[in-house]
Amino acid sequence: MEVIGKSVIRKEAVDKVTGRANFTHDFHTLPMLSGKMVISPYGHAKIVSIDTMEAWQVPGVRTILAGDRFPLTGEAIRDRPPLAVDKVRYHGEPVALVVADTPVQAKKAADLIKVKYELLQVVNSPTQAFQKGAPLVHERLGEYKKEEDSLPVPGTNIATHIKIRKGNMEKGWADSVAVVEASLSFAPSDHVAMETRCATAEIMPDGNIIIMTSSQAPFMVKRLLSDYFGIDLGKIIVHTPLVGGAYGGKAPVQLEVLAYLASKAVGGKPVKIFNTREEDIITSPCHIGLDATVKLGVNRDGKIQAAEIRYLWDGGAYSDKAIDVTRSGAVDCTGPYNIENVSCDSYCMYTNHPYASPFRGFSHAELSFAIERTMDLLAQKINMDPLVLRYINAIMPGNTTPTRVLLNKSNVGNLRKCIEKVRELIHWDEGSVKEVSDRLIRVKGVSCSWKTSTIDIDAPSGVILTFNRDGTINLMSGVVEIGTGTKTILAQILAERLKMDVDNIHVKMEVDTQTTPEHWKTVASRGTFMAGRAVLKAAEDVLDQLKEVASCVLRAPKEDLEVAGSRVFLRDDPSIGLHFKDIGHGYKYPNGNSIGGQIIGRGSYILRHLTHLNPETGAGKPGPEWTVAAYGVEIEFDRRDYTYRLVKACTVVDIGKVMNEKAALGQVMGAMSMGLAFAGRETFYFDELGRVLNPQLRTYRPLRYGENPEYLVGFVETPQLDGPYGARGVGEHGLMGMPGALGNALSIAAGVSLNNLPLIPELIWKAKEAAK
Amino acid sequence: MLSFDFDYFRPETLNEAIDLFQFLDQQGKQPMFFSGGTELITLGRINLAYTEAVIDIKDIAECKIMQVSGDQVLLGSTLSLTKIEEANLFPLLTKTASEVADHTARGKITLGGNICARIFYREAVLPFLLADSQVLLIGPNGKKIVPINEIFQGQLGLEKGEFLVQVATENRFIRAPFFSVKRRQQWDTGYPLITIVALKVNQQIRVGISGLCPFPFRSKEVEGALNNIGQSAEARVAGAIAVLPQPILDDVEGSAEYRLFVLRNLFFDLLAALDRVQV
Repeated sequence: MEVIGKSVIRKEAVDKVTGRANFTHDFHTLPMLSGKMVISPYGHAKIVSIDTMEAWQVPGVRTILAGDRFPLTGEAIRDRPPLAVDKVRYHGEPVALVVADTPVQAKKAADLIKVKYELLQVVNSPTQAFQKGAPLVHERLGEYKKEEDSLPVPGTNIATHIKIRKGNMEKGWADSVAVVEASLSFAPSDHVAMETRCATAEIMPDGNIIIMTSSQAPFMVKRLLSDYFGIDLGKIIVHTPLVGGAYGGKAPVQLEVLAYLASKAVGGKPVKIFNTREEDIITSPCHIGLDATVKLGVNRDGKIQAAEIRYLWDGGAYSDKAIDVTRSGAVDCTGPYNIENVSCDSYCMYTNHPYASPFRGFSHAELSFAIERTMDLLAQKINMDPLVLRYINAIMPGNTTPTRVLLNKSNVGNLRKCIEKVRELIHWDEGSVKEVSDRLIRVKGVSCSWKTSTIDIDAPSGVILTFNRDGTINLMSGVVEIGTGTKTILAQILAERLKMDVDNIHVKMEVDTQTTPEHWKTVASRGTFMAGRAVLKAAEDVLDQLKEVASCVLRAPKEDLEVAGSRVFLRDDPSIGLHFKDIGHGYKYPNGNSIGGQIIGRGSYILRHLTHLNPETGAGKPGPEWTVAAYGVEIEFDRRDYTYRLVKACTVVDIGKVMNEKAALGQVMGAMSMGLAFAGRETFYFDELGRVLNPQLRTYRPLRYGENPEYLVGFVETPQLDGPYGARGVGEHGLMGMPGALGNALSIAAGVSLNNLPLIPELIWKAKEAAK
Repeated sequence: MLSFDFDYFRPETLNEAIDLFQFLDQQGKQPMFFSGGTELITLGRINLAYTEAVIDIKDIAECKIMQVSGDQVLLGSTLSLTKIEEANLFPLLTKTASEVADHTARGKITLGGNICARIFYREAVLPFLLADSQVLLIGPNGKKIVPINEIFQGQLGLEKGEFLVQVATENRFIRAPFFSVKRRQQWDTGYPLITIVALKVNQQIRVGISGLCPFPFRSKEVEGALNNIGQSAEARVAGAIAVLPQPILDDVEGSAEYRLFVLRNLFFDLLAALDRVQV
């Protein structure tokens, strides 16, 4: 292959490295009004009064929204008022919105709004939320409008409950000679995308609503605004320029709604809302937390016979995307192991925490921590090498998933190969513990993961190709460029298929929902797969049209024509042919007669054979394929201080086909870095009032350059037969196994089971003290 | 973004700065001496700092001084921490200052700004406390030179309208053996869980600590316990722990109990590093 697999430099690279790339906040139209939120300082409190008198005195104030009852919003359950009414349910919740001429005026006025609260009892964890008699976050849960497959339980804090029932648990336990059970837990945290979220809205006199937003889901913004407010879909036009990191946090729709309401309140004038870092951390949706219990039974040969799992997801104050995350966590609940007997209850719990959104890996990094720690406990209990335990239980073609999808050689990668490669890369056979000095030891931990993408069963992706008069091609796809380089990979796929130079393909970076064909959402590592398939189809369409015209001009049947190097030519005599520039806009004969016309290629793709899950057993086909990966982390641990240094981190992922080597390496290493930060440091610290005590980068700290380990990345290529050139998703997988592998390494090093995140030295000290 | 407006002044002499402060204060402008600006920007944007007049002292020659003069080293209050690191005139200070914030921020954060900071870690003061440095202050009543240990009690005891101009440190302290460790909640980024610095002078260990209490300190009692040569290391450390100032911080960086665990081990490391050193 000529283009696939090559490290083609990203199409947007030059703009980015020169600082010229524009993100949503960089676009200024004049006059642009500014919206500023007033946010709740408490986790759960009754709103007694909102005094806006003084705020109105600030010059430049156009309007103040507070106390109005707008339609309820939320994706899976309509449970969220755009601005809190009656009570606030999380620290950071928007309570009022000031619109003023300038950001400074808006902030001044917002600072002068006085809200009186009366504190309510706080639900401070999903476990507490699950207890009988816990205070209710939503008293009227039964009255909300909802999606059909959201299953809230009125009178409780359960926003949804997904059940997996596979095989026969009694038999599973009966066949087991050893059983382990563990409880694991971690609090919510943040995505910390470099670009904080930003949205603008303007309502034109003709009724068109123009939104610009840093979103992973511009088409969803359009659909939801239409749904929430009864607006014609065609009147909503959403623009999304380059997005400065998203990681799932920009899939939910929040600021767009506020910007729309703000614009509407000021006669349609354009209004911008731009999150401060603090707002981005607590007001906008965060990374979900989890309380898990996992019980595994194993037979004499080390084969797992039964898995009983309970996941209590910390959905926060509003269910929004957390319901999907809860479902996704259920369908892959066991991790990548072949287990015949599975019982899993995955609950999305309401709490008084910032509400959750997907996080890179969409529940899989979280559930992997729970499963992989328990796997190590199991290995310890039966005295088996933890890598061997994973190897012999690795899921394979012929096995079924927890939702009973039969796996084959295409829809699942080769986990055993991944494990073998990790074994080599981290020199596992040299042993997992090495003494460095009387205090220091080097310790390795391992883990595995898998993931299917539980996206909407009718999720579409479309591509349009047009020609420039010089024969170059413009590629338009609804994929948002969130920093993953997916649009460059689409250009590579097109170049490969048309056998042309990738530099002659121009990619439209911005998405405009009026003219760009829809791509469902840029999430779930589905960009390359779905849009790639659409590109291939559009390429076929273009090839057919090019040949049609050329066949006429060259007086040769279409079957005799080849396309390569931006030319259509005779297979047996390539010197006879036509350049794209001569036919892309129609062919003109010497006498002036013209034929053909502008060539426009179209291609679309929709995932096939996906089904809803059976509400009682979970049976169903939730996603198209399972990407698998294996991991190792090596640390240097100080046995006196319980401090440690990350030495090496390794990921081997079955990527199907490496499309762009450097881009793939970058994705995997970047994901590992995020995974280690999530595992090792990032968390929200809550007080008893449900307040996040560290909503700033001073105290909320992602991994800093220099703290990182050496990264080792390996790829296995088991093609997914219906993926473009066999490719599988790869954006998330580097992250998913890091918490488990780090937790396993540290548990071995410290000689105590570490079942919480983040794995800071104080946590290890506490575990050691408790074990004394 | 700061939502308040303020006047900006950039005097060139000490007296001008002092006069400006008094004048602006009389006008009710809540004036603020300013150099790197990091606190005004970061606290101002979340409404924890406010002023209507800023007096930027960066252009005042005395505040920029960095020289070895006779038997002492003079460091001006508006020197950035990166400048101090690069010149390395006081190795203990270099080591301690280089752990503050991050490199980008240290390009702005000044020596005086860190010592007089609202954010209470103020780690750059620790080496001066141990070295019995002298501070040059100026205020409405003119200049005064004061031992830092007299005027720094958790924070620099400045009177209204006063500011820090220079710190003078004798060479014999500058060359003394030292120990400086910053321990964080995790890895190499963030506020101190404990920052501990030590100097060995005349066979005696001097210790300064930040991050343990909501103020940095040097404690004679702690030093007394650690220097109790006749006793075992365990007894000396236990003695030091018993006489720590209060309260011990208990916050998102770490619990009070854990801080004491960390401190205890650091005391042992400190003794191991300095105890056998002969001067």
